[in-house]
Amino acid sequence: MVTDAGTPSPRSEPGAAGSKGALLALEGATIGYDSPLLEGVDLAIPADDFLAVVGPNGGGKTTILRTLLGVLPPLAGARLQSAPVRTGYVPQRDHVDAYWPLTVADVTLMGRYPRLGVGRRPGSGDRAEVERALARVGIADLAHRSFRTLSGGQRQRTLIARALAASPELLALDEPTNGMDPAAELSAMVILRDLHRQGGLAVVMVSHRLEAVANYARRLAFADKDKGLWRVGPLEEMLTPEALSALYGRAVTVREEGGRRFVYPEGGGERA
Amino acid sequence: MSAISEFLAAKDIWRDPLLASVIAGGLCGFLGVYVVLRRTVFVSAALTQLSTLGLICALLAEEALHIEVEHAGVQLAVAIVFSVAGALVLGALQARRRLPAEAGVGIAYVVAGALVVLGANRLVHAAHDLNAMVFGNAVAVPFSDVVVLAVVALVCVAVHAVFAKELIFTSFDAETAAALGYSTRTWNGLLYFTIGLAIPAAARALGALPVFAFLTIPASAALLVTKRLRSTFALATALGLLAAAGGYALSWIWQLPTGATMVALAGLFVLPGAILKEGRG
Repeated sequence: MVTDAGTPSPRSEPGAAGSKGALLALEGATIGYDSPLLEGVDLAIPADDFLAVVGPNGGGKTTILRTLLGVLPPLAGARLQSAPVRTGYVPQRDHVDAYWPLTVADVTLMGRYPRLGVGRRPGSGDRAEVERALARVGIADLAHRSFRTLSGGQRQRTLIARALAASPELLALDEPTNGMDPAAELSAMVILRDLHRQGGLAVVMVSHRLEAVANYARRLAFADKDKGLWRVGPLEEMLTPEALSALYGRAVTVREEGGRRFVYPEGGGERA
Repeated sequence: MSAISEFLAAKDIWRDPLLASVIAGGLCGFLGVYVVLRRTVFVSAALTQLSTLGLICALLAEEALHIEVEHAGVQLAVAIVFSVAGALVLGALQARRRLPAEAGVGIAYVVAGALVVLGANRLVHAAHDLNAMVFGNAVAVPFSDVVVLAVVALVCVAVHAVFAKELIFTSFDAETAAALGYSTRTWNGLLYFTIGLAIPAAARALGALPVFAFLTIPASAALLVTKRLRSTFALATALGLLAAAGGYALSWIWQLPTGATMVALAGLFVLPGAILKEGRG
């Protein structure tokens, strides 16, 4: 079944009802490169959203994100965008080549480039935005450090700072905690939650680790191309045994301990 | 008279070839930073080979048409067409990722190499010139080639000066650049266009082997010792220029093959950085 449970279904309310007032939306979209991965994807991103798209590796999560951002056209259906959206993008950390001789400030400054226009150079205002973005993620003191010498967590903060330097309305992140140790993962998610709480920012992130996002996102989406699964809704509706078993193909328990949610597949004792 | 004073006295003979070598060395050193950082060293090898293939095609056409007088401008133009077309095709293949990028580059390199051998085998009169063009023996470079090279260098410098931030961003992190609305295909195409333009013009002055070397060695040497991208570009350009000028002068003084001397000298420039890195662990 393919519905956007967080917004009225286009099938029940035809047209762009679900996407009214949204920054970006997909309506009945078939996503994929040359052949379809998922069909009938409905998704609207309101201005204050915090959406985590969860699913197995290779399940189509990144393809959905790329389609939503307009990098990849939908094979069918529509991508809706009523006005230009200032977007900050954080790629998977290991997709960024750390060998380049760039400082943290150099990398962060790239977030300003789309606002400058072709051929124009950054000025003092852009550098001030870079300092502000670095301070927001707590690495202002690393501005002149070489990007290649940073730890994984520091690189991730740099990439988030670069996205923030664009003064974005939408922050899109692809597996931002991939390969991080638990402490760095927690730290990265707290930064994202705090940025979202400051207001004026929609966050859309992709993760294969449900537990990493279950305590921070407001909405969850499950995507798995092998099961033809696309489902999206408020966190409470998605963290139900029924919804989770559709994603994992087995019974799953959600427990709250010390104010945090933990997700356990039943019968295996492993966390999801 | 010492070898050095003999060299200085022959200024009128070596002035144009040296000037061409310096421009070609500096230009390739600069562009090599992109080539090395984008991990496309063998793209430059394939383009060098395609450029040589273009040259052979021009020579074969001249022989087939019984044209006695060599038309250097036409030969260079054909070499540029082959190189630029190859650059744009290889750039597009990298973007499509239907095959691993290395596969397309490898196919272009070996097929162009085979066609060069086959074409050279059919040449009757120009075979001796071809050896110098491929392996580099830049003893005599006509002034017209210096002018062409200077114009190509100016075009490349202008493109890279105006569009530096776009070329750097799309090369460093194409995924994010695309997500933010950059046409990575266009910017990759522009970068490859400048590389494809520079290779035949530089190869005409230096030879194909030194051009491949200068697109790789100065940038690698610079990357070992620099921490800022701007410094890397500056040092790689300077090392390319120095290796070309120094190699030319040393080959004259010691009566050595010019291209090979340039490459060997460029190779020496890698040592300090490599030793420094090794020392730091």
